[in-house]
Parts: sequence; C-alpha cells; structure tokens
Amino acid sequence: MPRTAGHFTIRPRMKFSLAVYSAPHSAQAAASALRFARALLHEGHELYRVFFYCDGVHIGSSLSTPPQDELDLLAGWQALQQQHQLDLVVCIAAAQRRGVLSDSEANRLEKPAANLAPGFELAGLGQLADAVAQSDRLITFGG
Amino acid sequence: MTLHIVSKSPFSSTALSDCLDAFGDGDALLLIEDGVYALSGRMAEQPAVKPVYCLAADAAARGLQIPASVTAVDDAGWVALCTEHNPIVSWFK
Repeated sequence: MPRTAGHFTIRPRMKFSLAVYSAPHSAQAAASALRFARALLHEGHELYRVFFYCDGVHIGSSLSTPPQDELDLLAGWQALQQQHQLDLVVCIAAAQRRGVLSDSEANRLEKPAANLAPGFELAGLGQLADAVAQSDRLITFGG
Repeated sequence: MTLHIVSKSPFSSTALSDCLDAFGDGDALLLIEDGVYALSGRMAEQPAVKPVYCLAADAAARGLQIPASVTAVDDAGWVALCTEHNPIVSWFK
C-alpha cells in the first residue's frame, strides 16, 4: 500500500516481467505490452525481463516494415531497450518455427539469412521461469 | 488478491464469463482492449462483480461511455493496480 510522507506518496518500487504472446499488428495486445512497459518504467518501477513467446516472437524481426503512420512496435521496444538496458528475450524454439533467427542460429541451421533485431536475444523457456522467480509481478499479454 | 485482466469482447469470447466464474472475494476486474465492450452490455448497469476498472483510453477509442459503477484508469493507474494485486491473471481466450 502507498505510504504518505508529507506531501509525497511513496509507492514501493517493484520488479515486473512481461510475457508477450501476441503477434504484432493482428491484435492490440502487442501494443498494450509496449504501452504498459513505458508506463511502469515512467512510474519508477523496474522491468526485469520481457519474454516474447508464441506469435510474439515476430516482434523481434528486424524486417517488419509497418507504414510510417502506424505504430512501429519494433522501434518502440528498441528505443525502450536502449534507454533502460532492457532484457528482451525471444523464445528460441518459437522463433525457429516462425523464421526469426540470429546470425549464429542462421549459420548453425544453414539458413540464407538472419533477422533477429538488435536489442533482442534468443533464449529458452528457462528465462521465463527465471523471470517469474525473480520478479514481483508477471503480466501476460496474449490474444 | 487477484487482478483479473479481460482483453476480449464478451460478444466474441468467453473470457469474461470464464473470469467471473473464477472471481474470488477481494479480487478486482480490469477491462482492457476489446474487453471494454462489456461496458455496452449488462455490466454497465449492474456489474456482476466489484470493483470493476476500465482503461479509459481503450474505452474512448471505441466510443464507449464509462458508467458510474466502473472506475476509469489511465496507464499509470493500470500499473498501480498491478502493484496492489497479486497475482495478475490475463484472460484472452
């Protein structure tokens, strides 16, 4: 609960992690996740990790090119990552299925190109379990 | 106590009714995205549970009025609700 000291209300600083299951541009949830991340950082909380899973891995593709007058989720996450040194983790198994590959994975799997965007990294589900263990709150964005 | 976040319309998904089945004493309900369409149904006059919160921006984007029985929150209010409740359960199927 908030504690009041004089004119100031002191709220506890919390550690959040987000799980993003929703594909960009097909549902609002991917945009909601970015909006929530901005809001919690603005409120002074910590964002321990964002885990992109299922169709959410498409957010980490450097090749997405939305029209200029539409929300650019990739640019939004990258800007936030740079500003706050966020840990943006893309599930490696979900990403391989959907064709989101890092340079090293593209080499290892002998694929012609890599497209994982700068600021994102591939890792396993263990990183989601770790985020749950290390964070005060896990918020899921799906649909 | 749990914060239930419903993001699908009750006219196209069972997310809200599933959530209400699992709603316990001390829990709270937050409507976001298409979940705010619940405000155009029966929930507007007589909410099945309380307290009910609604993301003001998502309701405004859909041209929905927020009834007196529902508390409008902005993004900072959304974050605050998430700090005041644990766990946070998202209903989107």
